[in-house]
Amino acid sequence: MDRRSFLKWSGLATGAAMVEPGHASERPPPARVVAPGGQVAVITPNGVTLPMKTSGKVKVGHLIAGEFEHEFAPGMRALVWGYNGRTPGPTIEVTEGDRVRLYVTNRLPEPTTIHWHGIIVPNGMDGVAGLNQRPIPPGETYVYEFTLRHPGTFMYHPHFDEMTQMALGMMGMFIVHPKVPVGPRVDRDFALMTHEWRLDVGARRPDPNEMTDFNVLTFNSKSFPATEPLLVGKGERVRIRLGNLSAMDHHPIHLHGLSFKLTATDGGYVPPSAQIPETTVLVPVACTRVIEFIPDEPGDWAMHCHMTHHTMTQMGHGTPNMVGADTRKLDHRMSRVMPDFMTMGTQGMGGMGEMEMTMPPNSLPMRGGPGPFSYIDMGGMFTILKVRDNPDRADPHGWYVHPAGTVAGPANPQQMTADGIDLSDGKPER
Amino acid sequence: MGTDRRLAGLVLLLGLGAPGCVSPSMQSDLARVRELTHMPLPPQLAVARDEGTGFPEEVRQWLQQPLTAEAAVRIALLNNRELRASLRDLGVARGQLLQAGVLPNPAVEVELRQQEDPGLPFEPQAEVRVEYGLTQAVLSVARARAAQRELEAARYRTAAFVVELGYTVRAAYYAFQAAQQRVAIATQALDAFAAARDASQALFEAGNIPELDAATQDAAYESARATVAQLELEVLERREQLQRLLGLHGEATAWTVTETLPRMAEQEPALENLERKALTASLELAETQHRLEGAAQRAGLTSVEGWLPDVSVGVIAERKSPVAPAHGEWEWGGVIHFTVPLFDRRQGTRSASEAEFDALMERYQGMAIDVRSAAREARNRVLSTYLRARQYQQVLLPARQRVMRQTMLQYNAMQIGVFQVLQVRREQLDTELAYVDLLREYWTAHAALEALLAGRRTGAPLGPGSGASLAGGTEAGGH
Ligand SMILES: [Cu+2]
Repeated sequence: MDRRSFLKWSGLATGAAMVEPGHASERPPPARVVAPGGQVAVITPNGVTLPMKTSGKVKVGHLIAGEFEHEFAPGMRALVWGYNGRTPGPTIEVTEGDRVRLYVTNRLPEPTTIHWHGIIVPNGMDGVAGLNQRPIPPGETYVYEFTLRHPGTFMYHPHFDEMTQMALGMMGMFIVHPKVPVGPRVDRDFALMTHEWRLDVGARRPDPNEMTDFNVLTFNSKSFPATEPLLVGKGERVRIRLGNLSAMDHHPIHLHGLSFKLTATDGGYVPPSAQIPETTVLVPVACTRVIEFIPDEPGDWAMHCHMTHHTMTQMGHGTPNMVGADTRKLDHRMSRVMPDFMTMGTQGMGGMGEMEMTMPPNSLPMRGGPGPFSYIDMGGMFTILKVRDNPDRADPHGWYVHPAGTVAGPANPQQMTADGIDLSDGKPER
Repeated sequence: MGTDRRLAGLVLLLGLGAPGCVSPSMQSDLARVRELTHMPLPPQLAVARDEGTGFPEEVRQWLQQPLTAEAAVRIALLNNRELRASLRDLGVARGQLLQAGVLPNPAVEVELRQQEDPGLPFEPQAEVRVEYGLTQAVLSVARARAAQRELEAARYRTAAFVVELGYTVRAAYYAFQAAQQRVAIATQALDAFAAARDASQALFEAGNIPELDAATQDAAYESARATVAQLELEVLERREQLQRLLGLHGEATAWTVTETLPRMAEQEPALENLERKALTASLELAETQHRLEGAAQRAGLTSVEGWLPDVSVGVIAERKSPVAPAHGEWEWGGVIHFTVPLFDRRQGTRSASEAEFDALMERYQGMAIDVRSAAREARNRVLSTYLRARQYQQVLLPARQRVMRQTMLQYNAMQIGVFQVLQVRREQLDTELAYVDLLREYWTAHAALEALLAGRRTGAPLGPGSGASLAGGTEAGGH
């Protein structure tokens, strides 16, 4: 088996393995080399890599634009648009110098095109409807063909009625490995596409007209707890490629438990001398950012957008601020007006997601997910970086087992006294 | 003093004597009215009642449990003073009938004369003349026949009054029931306003909203309170209207009614041949017909009277003076007395009677047109209120319930706050209020239609000469 057919098979295998994420028995595929210099295959959590055949010297792929039902998280499904039945579309993974022939079949009710975002292509392949080509009519298949002359992390998306088509989920990552590896070899290579949507509670289709008020924030079109964790090994070199095709928002993605360096953007590589250590990387709209790091602290580490609203899901904005309100009188009154009414939010919003209340269909308001200690009351653009000593044998869905005495817990009163912590006056310490 | 005591004795005698005595003629009037109305008019109606004797046992029993519309009508039939007065007014027509049929009295003339010779002892001459008006005696039979028509007309009028009373009681009953339901619904809405006020107060105290918001909610609550107070007055007023119609006072005023207006039948009301049925049933048309017959007979009578010489026949007896021949003997003779209808042929009276007949005839025709129109109107009203109320019952109320359910879901999903929930609840209650009003409109229209088919246009003026009126006024078909 030569390298090319290996790539082909591994791509298919990755695709098959990723179709049904969420089974505890599933193991992440071991890192596979797909590009020169031992460069490993890109993992798209919750997603797949586009299978490509080789025809002569050209790599051939097929993208089918269409509508389908997508599950953002259990309990929240909607009709979206995407490629090959998924959003984001399959990650296209090739190597610098490859020539690709990409067929695009349009099964949308309106025309479309594909723009290869950040990739330098002949002008007629750039996919801007009207400017570079005729839009692909519904039912027809167009073909794009070009040679990848620059390595990097890119994206693809429609350039016809972008507002609707991107808002409904049409986008994907396009990764071009360098012919000669840049920087140290990485052990894990992830691709995460950030995105934002407006899905009204109880509605069945995202609203492409929304321009400011988004309520479903996703990594690879999944909202926590449906985001697949990133399983890595302690001491491994990890690369995360972040893309942003959100309509209006930049995302400050924050990683816990380590610091990283920005090694590349969609424009090219950052010279090592300019790589500054950070724990948060701002991924602007229409940009990609590539970070690399070596975790040395095992555990389950949060990775999320730090815009607080972006880790909420379908939170309403019109609700009154109930914090601190004494609603006993109201509760009594409401028991007469509407017996099944329950006052909410008087003690903050934490734990709201845990309440078992009847909800409209397709809604995950304020939802987070289960954690090993309690409910994790963050959702949306939130995932978990699982750093394990032996990642290839670890269960990606299992929780980190903390060594004894390494988890924060209730303070010991004697120790408090010994340490001079005095709460007897009940006032905050100054 | 003595006169006073005698008077008191007389009053006592009347007071004790009256309740027990039932005039048989009133029973027959009552029976006729019962027959015309098909209403359960109790025989006790013919018995005069004094305040001291209290309410009849049936009334007391009916009042003990929540009143139904049917029971309210029965109480009114027993107890409505205007109805009792109306039945007694029939006595006037009956009296007139009696009077019309009475034969004229004979006229007697006695003449005493002094003897011509003053030397003789007093021995007066006497002449006795008895005269009897033959024409008037013959005419009295015809007059009695005309009066009979008038009596029958009066019975029809009373029957119409009974039917209208039944309708008015029903309409007032539904109005009261609806008013009660409106207050119950408005009280729930008030609770929702109070809850919004409580919520805004709690939020203001927690420092979460400006005082303006709390003041706004407070003002909204107080406005709602004023509205509820107004609706409460409406309940009291409707109640009093019913008290008057049922003739209740004192302890008997503490009745209750069944809580809610009845649901409508599943089937659309059958409304065929209404015009014909209403014409056939119309008591006012029948009354006017009898009045027309009476008028025709009177006009004919006048005409006969005009041509007929006024004939009276008589007997004369004379007793001559003792000195005269055949001393002390009565002499007998006869007399015929008549007028020659030369100038007064009762032309004026006849033309007045004819005009009266013609006028009545025009009214009769107009009335028939009105009855037909009333039938169509009643039909439209019943059908429209039925369909609208059914739309509320089957579509709108469930739709509002669905809105409420979905609102609660959106609230659970934290998309909306307590104020929006309460707003939707109030909108739901508004719809319930409108439904109650429609249901009341339907039942009132239904009662009006029943009254029409029982012979009475509701809200139509009673026949001329009737002083009957119902306290509180009538309301056909709501607002
Ligand atoms: Cu964000």
